[in-house]
Amino acid sequence: MYMFIEQAMNGLQYSALLFLLSAGLTLIFGIMNVVNLAHGSFYMVGAFCAASAVAITGSFSVAILAALVGAAVYGLIVEKLIISRLYHRDHLDQVLATLGVIFFTNALVTLVFGRSPPFVDIPPLLSGSVQILPGLNYPIMRLAFIGAGVLVAIGLWLLISRTRVGMLVRAGADDAETVDALGINISRLFTMVFTLGALLGGFAGVMGAPLLAVEIGMGEKILITTLVVIVVGGVGSVRGALVGSLLVGLVDSFGRAYIPIGMSQLLPPEYSDSVSSSLVSASIYILMAIVLLVKPRGLVPAQR
Amino acid sequence: MTDKKPKLEIRNLRKSFGALAATDDVNLTVYADEIHALIGPNGAGKTTLISQISGEIMPDSGQILLDGKDITRVPPHQRAAVGLARSFQISQLYHDFTVEDNVAMAVQAGTSKRFSLWRNARKDESLRKPAREALAKVGLEHRANDLVSSLAHGEKRQLELAIALSLNAPVLLLDEPMAGLGAEESMLMKDILQGLKGQYAMLLVEHDMDIVFALADRVTVLVYGHPIFTGTPDEVRDHPDVRDAYLGNE
Amino acid sequence: MTRKYIVVGIIFALLILVPPIANVTDDTFLVSMVTRFVIYALAAVSLDLILGYGALVSFGHAAFFGIGGYVVAIVGFHMDMGDTLFGWAGSNSALVIWPLAMIMSAVVGAVMGALSLRTSGIQFIMITLAFAQMLYFVLVGLVQYGGDDGLSITNRNLIPGLDVDDNTTFYYVCLVLLTVWVLVCRRIVNSPFGMVLRGFKQNERRNVNLGYAPMPYKLSAFVISAAGTGLAGVLWANYALYASPDMASWLKSGELMAMIILGGMGTIFGPIIGAAVFLGLEQILTAWTEHWMLFLGPVLILVVLFSRRGIFGWLVGGRNND
Repeated sequence: MYMFIEQAMNGLQYSALLFLLSAGLTLIFGIMNVVNLAHGSFYMVGAFCAASAVAITGSFSVAILAALVGAAVYGLIVEKLIISRLYHRDHLDQVLATLGVIFFTNALVTLVFGRSPPFVDIPPLLSGSVQILPGLNYPIMRLAFIGAGVLVAIGLWLLISRTRVGMLVRAGADDAETVDALGINISRLFTMVFTLGALLGGFAGVMGAPLLAVEIGMGEKILITTLVVIVVGGVGSVRGALVGSLLVGLVDSFGRAYIPIGMSQLLPPEYSDSVSSSLVSASIYILMAIVLLVKPRGLVPAQR
Repeated sequence: MTDKKPKLEIRNLRKSFGALAATDDVNLTVYADEIHALIGPNGAGKTTLISQISGEIMPDSGQILLDGKDITRVPPHQRAAVGLARSFQISQLYHDFTVEDNVAMAVQAGTSKRFSLWRNARKDESLRKPAREALAKVGLEHRANDLVSSLAHGEKRQLELAIALSLNAPVLLLDEPMAGLGAEESMLMKDILQGLKGQYAMLLVEHDMDIVFALADRVTVLVYGHPIFTGTPDEVRDHPDVRDAYLGNE
Repeated sequence: MTRKYIVVGIIFALLILVPPIANVTDDTFLVSMVTRFVIYALAAVSLDLILGYGALVSFGHAAFFGIGGYVVAIVGFHMDMGDTLFGWAGSNSALVIWPLAMIMSAVVGAVMGALSLRTSGIQFIMITLAFAQMLYFVLVGLVQYGGDDGLSITNRNLIPGLDVDDNTTFYYVCLVLLTVWVLVCRRIVNSPFGMVLRGFKQNERRNVNLGYAPMPYKLSAFVISAAGTGLAGVLWANYALYASPDMASWLKSGELMAMIILGGMGTIFGPIIGAAVFLGLEQILTAWTEHWMLFLGPVLILVVLFSRRGIFGWLVGGRNND
């Protein structure tokens, strides 16, 4: 029973990370109609900036700042130079151009930070565990991340429901005339949305740094999972990103915990290990394939 | 109108989008050799009706009958084969192909060759000759080898019509073939359509009343998705309801 | 038009002349390097068939590259072990294995295509990617076949009358297969079927209006493309005497796409140049610096932003509406 709760909490924490990334990515797709494969790169930039900041200053708060600034600035540059030229192009062009950004960013980060940055230690404030239920201790760091995810979700909700920018998101307006009529400069809006997405990605990088591997190519791994999240949830919909993150995070977490057990019961030992490792890794893709075949536009598609 | 049974018949057709009834209990017939004009104010639902007849939109209820056979649920890619050719209000062309290529695609669709992986499509005279003939019918044969992107707007409308004609379908659904044409080009198009009179069951969506009076055998007036009157052009012109609803507001 | 044939002629002439040139310049690595170009070109050309002509952005195509490679590797493995594979003693004949691998790629392609083509747009991109990832993880999970480390192959498949262990002979085998495949793809692209496929890319609404059902055309093209990519995987496994799971990774699909766009999308010949340039640059730049992607990334971006027609388009000039 405790294992179940613990796995659920781990799933939620992974969901929080995924939500930070998928909310940005889905907004970029929904408002700007851009497939941004380079989104994972902001996650990586954030993680590397954070890791280096910790190595240099020893302070986790500086690390967070470094990640946010690094990712946001990089996002701004990428948007101004490249993404802004892709708004009227078809998805294939966007895929290929952002693929180029991935390749370039990997090389750039290697050049600047070296191939393996120092491992990021858990800051003293957030280390240790707390008793969430009698007999069950859970790491504070992970709880903090879940909390951060919740805060971001609330923040985005406020942004979308209480501001003019949010109104555009809800209206699904990618039409220049509508945007102009509301008195908003469309290119500045797009720049803002993209930079916000990059910032959230960088923040996710900070979260990921202590817990997941910080390495070149970490962006691609998390990108794929993020794309799965938004496709499952519904492309263009932040609510969809929330639903998708929860579903994917929990499926992944419970899968890791229970599939090996299940397989060892069902299959002879020489097969159960390899089958379960494949199944565990493939679980979210199987989830996505099922969702797409039943609801091709995702579970909570954006209103169009 | 020599045939008693209609070639195309729409019965009690309804389609709503949310609270909006785009098609509201439409009954309409088109005989095998008549030009039946469909007129109405903007937003009356004329294109929505055409899209249901061509299969792109599925009606909520009602029937579409061709030669008495119910084709309401026939998928859009099979409608040309059963005998319905539809042209679009905004030209739908293949921009990287030549003018002749565009028409040849329509010719090819009706043949068994369309799955052929081996022969060279552009060198097949059995496809290219009918294409050139259709282009000649609309006066575009001199542009056969030009890319679509080099055509003027009026020429694109001519090409749009040539494609529809090449499907060799007994029923033509033409959605504002004169859309965006100047006075001279419209007259040319009117002459082309006049030349086709009697050969097809034609449902013609049109705005220009002079064209309608010149070409149409019968006219249906659609307002808010519902036909308020069907009759000859003269009857329509004199009908008080129509004048109030449509002609009077011009 | 004639300029195009001149460019194509020069490309193939150069490819044919590689071994003699290597002899003359005493370059022992040239043939080996160009063999890689030719093998990847085969995969890129296959993907161009559906990507460049059908606008089907399949991130899953690497799966077929992986299937091709692993069919060769797994059969070879069992033969080395001396045991049977589902009751079959196996074979080392290319005439048996290579068609078998292509058929398996085609079958998996049919399943993947039938399911994926029910979606479109970004969902199609994602679901094809998901299938590739699933296969990747299956391959990683096959511990008895090396798992993450991949599987070595002791011998190349045999072709009667030819010494496939000789690098030059093997190179010509690959070149012949590439040439044949390119000719087949060109015929397909200019056939009525090909025109319909291209019609779906340019104006699907019109295609349907004329009477062309999307699924049969797109699926057939997908399957043909899968078989070609599978053949490339077979050749790679034979060349490298090694198969590994990242043959099936989505990033491999991305590399193929990069080759297509560099060389010229929707041209069939362009991807050949694209493969050579991509791999050649990798070769040259990695000798200089390990950060070669620092240059390739922007090159790719610039080509996408400013010139879709790639290097082939630039060489040939004029309009490309074939």
